[in-house]
Amino acid sequence: MQQTTTEKTVPIPGLRRDKTVKKSVIWADRLADRIITIGGILVIVAVLGILVFLTVETLPLFRSGQTTGQFRYQLHDPPPVILGAGMDEYHTLTYMLLPDGRIRVFHTRTGYEMNPLHISADGAAITASADSMDQESLALGFSDGTIRIAATSFDMSVIPESDLPSGLTKIDDVDQTDGDTVFSRITGDQYRLIRFRATVEEPIPSSPTGQPITNLAFQSSGEAERQTRALVSLDKSGYLSMNRVQEKVNLMTGIKKTEIEDIRLPPLPKDIRISVIRLSELVDTLLVACEDGRLFRYNLQNTATPVLAETTRVLPAGQTLTVCEYLLGSQSLLVGGSDGSLNLFFTIIEPQMGTADKRVMVKAREFTPMTAPVVRISAATRGKTFAQSTTAGSIRVAHATSQKTLLTMEPQTPSPPLALLLAPRMDGVFYLSQSGEASLVQFSTPHPETSFQTLFQRVWYEGYTEPTFTWQSSGASDSFEPKLSLIPLIFGSVKAAMYSLLFAVPIALLAAIYTSEFVHPKIRDILKPIMEIMASLPSVVLGFVAALVLAPVVENWIAAILLSFILIPVIMLTGSLFWQFIPLHLTARHGGIFRVIGAMLLLFVMAGITILLTPGFEAFFFQGDFKSWLTGNTGDALPFLFLILLPVSALITGLFYSRFVNTWLMTIYGRNSLLAASVMDVGKWVFLSVMTMGVSFLMARIMSRYGFDLRGSLVGTYVQRNTLVVGFAMGFAVIPIIYTIAEDALNSVPNHLRAASLGCGATQWQTTIYVVLPAALSGVFSAVMIGLGRAVGETMIVVMAAGNTPLIDLNIFNGLRALSATIAVELPEAVKDGTLYRVLFLSGLVLFAMTFVINTVAEVVRLRFRKRAAQL
Amino acid sequence: MTEQPGTRTSMDRKMVHPQHGAEGTILDIDNFCLWYGLKQALFNNTISVEKGLVTALIGPSGCGKSTLLRSLNRMNDLIEGLHTSGEIRLDNQNIFDSHVDVIALRKRMGMVFQKPNPFPMTISDNVSYPLKIDGIRDRRILSETVEKSLQSAALWDEVKDRLKDNALGLSGGQQQRLCIARAIAADPEVLLMDEPCSALDPMATTKIEDLINELRGRYSIIIVTHNMQQAARVSDNTAFMYLGKIIEYGKTDTIFTKPRSQQTQDYVTGRFG
Ligand SMILES: Nc1ncnc2c1ncn2[C@@H]1O[C@H](COP(=O)(O)OP(=O)(O)O)[C@@H](O)[C@H]1O
Ligand SMILES: [Mg+2]
Repeated sequence: MQQTTTEKTVPIPGLRRDKTVKKSVIWADRLADRIITIGGILVIVAVLGILVFLTVETLPLFRSGQTTGQFRYQLHDPPPVILGAGMDEYHTLTYMLLPDGRIRVFHTRTGYEMNPLHISADGAAITASADSMDQESLALGFSDGTIRIAATSFDMSVIPESDLPSGLTKIDDVDQTDGDTVFSRITGDQYRLIRFRATVEEPIPSSPTGQPITNLAFQSSGEAERQTRALVSLDKSGYLSMNRVQEKVNLMTGIKKTEIEDIRLPPLPKDIRISVIRLSELVDTLLVACEDGRLFRYNLQNTATPVLAETTRVLPAGQTLTVCEYLLGSQSLLVGGSDGSLNLFFTIIEPQMGTADKRVMVKAREFTPMTAPVVRISAATRGKTFAQSTTAGSIRVAHATSQKTLLTMEPQTPSPPLALLLAPRMDGVFYLSQSGEASLVQFSTPHPETSFQTLFQRVWYEGYTEPTFTWQSSGASDSFEPKLSLIPLIFGSVKAAMYSLLFAVPIALLAAIYTSEFVHPKIRDILKPIMEIMASLPSVVLGFVAALVLAPVVENWIAAILLSFILIPVIMLTGSLFWQFIPLHLTARHGGIFRVIGAMLLLFVMAGITILLTPGFEAFFFQGDFKSWLTGNTGDALPFLFLILLPVSALITGLFYSRFVNTWLMTIYGRNSLLAASVMDVGKWVFLSVMTMGVSFLMARIMSRYGFDLRGSLVGTYVQRNTLVVGFAMGFAVIPIIYTIAEDALNSVPNHLRAASLGCGATQWQTTIYVVLPAALSGVFSAVMIGLGRAVGETMIVVMAAGNTPLIDLNIFNGLRALSATIAVELPEAVKDGTLYRVLFLSGLVLFAMTFVINTVAEVVRLRFRKRAAQL
Repeated sequence: MTEQPGTRTSMDRKMVHPQHGAEGTILDIDNFCLWYGLKQALFNNTISVEKGLVTALIGPSGCGKSTLLRSLNRMNDLIEGLHTSGEIRLDNQNIFDSHVDVIALRKRMGMVFQKPNPFPMTISDNVSYPLKIDGIRDRRILSETVEKSLQSAALWDEVKDRLKDNALGLSGGQQQRLCIARAIAADPEVLLMDEPCSALDPMATTKIEDLINELRGRYSIIIVTHNMQQAARVSDNTAFMYLGKIIEYGKTDTIFTKPRSQQTQDYVTGRFG
């Protein structure tokens, strides 16, 4: 209407409207706009924030060492030879054992000399020393052929400032001393006292001929009351002897009794020049390494009768052994050659090689060679970190498993090392060169054992026969090395998701097709919410039902379940065949509800038939016991292959049929009445099933002939909490989502397309398959992707029902361990900011990345679908 | 009100028929009533549709033209609560008989809808769709049918170079002719068209009308339209419907020039509708 005409019409009293938009409306509009914008931005910021937080938490995993302090000085009067050395965990004191029995103690950071200690040995000189892994005792070999064990320790205590004695000499800003003890100022006006002590025990005769001891290996273990010490010594004449020293304290009298046991070692070849002898921490292995790289391995597991288990080479010919040192746990052995190479060896079980204990030494890792031969190695007492020094004094601190270089250091003047000490806490390395140049470098390496390789690639761990992806975050012993490969966890997540989708997708999609295409909208309005109610079940409930109820039931009825997978389609098809015999006017009038009831009844019938048939089925296919067949001990591959190939061969048969037989049959059908056609249908069905079974049998026969067996890949030994159970439970959890989204997608296909197809004479099913599904395909795809995203991130079900075994195994009857479950289970126990803690954060990041990618793809596809659907 | 009593047998129907085609009738709608639930939408309609001719259904909006048309190939079947009485015979076979195969019936009666509704597939897949659902996979037969049908629908020259393009890329008029081609590809006897031009511009409308004129004789065409000129231009016979009843049925000339009923007169002269 025009303005003028409105003017002319008689205004209705009280109803004259102002046609400008009110200020308040504009303001409300703007406000809403702002609030929505801010809300959206906040959501994005929150997601990004979480991402940044996770990344920041995980970054330290990939860092190498950072130097935190450096001290260099010239040590007075450097000795020509040092037999042993040690450092306390605060880098305060260092001791050096000299051949004349003197122990020089000095302040590590400055070189300030403390009062020396003396070990008296009736005038004999110390010719060899060896320290035990426990760092509390030292074995000393003397020129008179005896051995003495010395207890060494850094005594520590903390006193308040008020107790500080007077007359102390200042060493540096922090430390003062009275000559024996160092007083270090620590936080809270307190002082830490550190003092080095050493006491020597009675001599143990070792060399039968009284020759000087040239080489020594020593381990001490057991509690104080019942200590066992093992000693292996080599004297100047080349005689190798082993002693086991047992100290027993009588608890009643308190009298100490020492028993010395001589152990006869099988002899070594005469002409060798032994360079190093090493005894493992548990005294089960003795290694004798020669200068030329030959290595003799004694197995001492049977104390009474040691065996020379293996003779091998750890260096190529022409090389000279320069260093040979055990790492923590005495399994990995580092061997250095005169060409600067450094390799890591350990034993693996390998029965084929014919060694006495069925084990062989293998070279597991090579380190980047140094420019000069490595002559010193100092192994850490926690973890597999070690420090190494070349003849030129180049120092490298590295981790043996991750092969991460944590620190490198070059001396001011190249000079061979006199001592190399890695601090007990792996936060410092002390180096003393023959020219007296001393340096202490303090550094921090929060996570030396993790690198991209240890997290995502195969790693050859001690005791494993080959490089593997392994997740094992905690172990029983102190020397246990955490194995933190994320691959088994990622595999577990993907496996759980895949198997549950295998179960959920067909059901969800068929249900979506059914409600959107085949039932009346009124019934659909009832069915859809019912399906969606499934989603409201908390996954923890699903999880424990799966673990405590479903898992045992599935275990008992596994053969029946397998059978029902075959029987459900067969019986449904049979049912629909016989449906045709019901006169058309009856089905036409009562179709919908009767069909549903009929299908339900069929399901019950099927359950009955399944239970009846199961024993026969198991007997016929699996020697009467499916589970024992699964272990691979009974039966052959054929029966299962036959069963699993049935769907494939049904497809092949169907294709063949529709291609070649159908058109010919159609012409005959046309001439017959409806009943005759139904009878012919039955005949056709019988023909098709026989053919399907034939094709399946043929394929299974051929495949099993060529040694193809699904046991060991897709199926295998049955474990109660397994992927099948997870698949059922998680399938139940994702069905509603996939169903809802897929149903919406199918529904958004406009009706005029259905009308067009039906108008062409297509059946409902043809319309669905050829027109509706293709048009809704991207929507359906995104439904599946969203289901996948949910399944990958799902936690409680996998925690409870998956068994949590971190395996890389496709076997559907085996358990798995998912990323999400690992985080849930292990995070409460992980030490804050520890390696496991950060690796779990990394797991979270990986999980986030996976679900993010999956959901983004799903969303992008969905948006595309929406746009397309709008154009239809 | 109807000029055709609903009780005639097929024998005498020919004699009173307003305009005989050369080959007789193809569809007999006999005393046909239809209810949507309790609401009756069609009342005792009786006409005979002649083979090979174009029959137009005209009438005001909501008078039941589409309902009647959709009854002919039983597209109404799925509507809940729908029931009918009377008969519709295709070649003397009542299409509501219990043993009639609806799918086969629809294959004999191609349908073209008000809004062009090509499938979101390629042009050639659209046209060969009726063959695909019959299980025909032979490439040669398919491509021949596509070409023939598109030629029959006067679309071949426009699309022959882009048969593999998506049909949604065509213009509205082209899409509607594609739908006609798709209907023709099924080789039907009857073509049902429900206001095929109402969503098209005048140029496209002219093309469709020309096409209908060309298809005359090969197919029996029943076209619903509310455009009187169109009915006059393309049809041989015209039925005027009002409030669910066929008021008058006869030669198109007669209906437009000297209708017997006053309502028809009012409608064709544009006094209501
Ligand atoms: N699916 C349906 N359910 C109920 N009533 C319908 C349905 N379709 C059409 N009608 C009613 O039937 C009558 C005829 O409709 P219709 O055949 O579409 O008319 P026309 O095509 O002549 O415009 C109208 O009153 C309409 O409301
Ligand atoms: Mg209409």
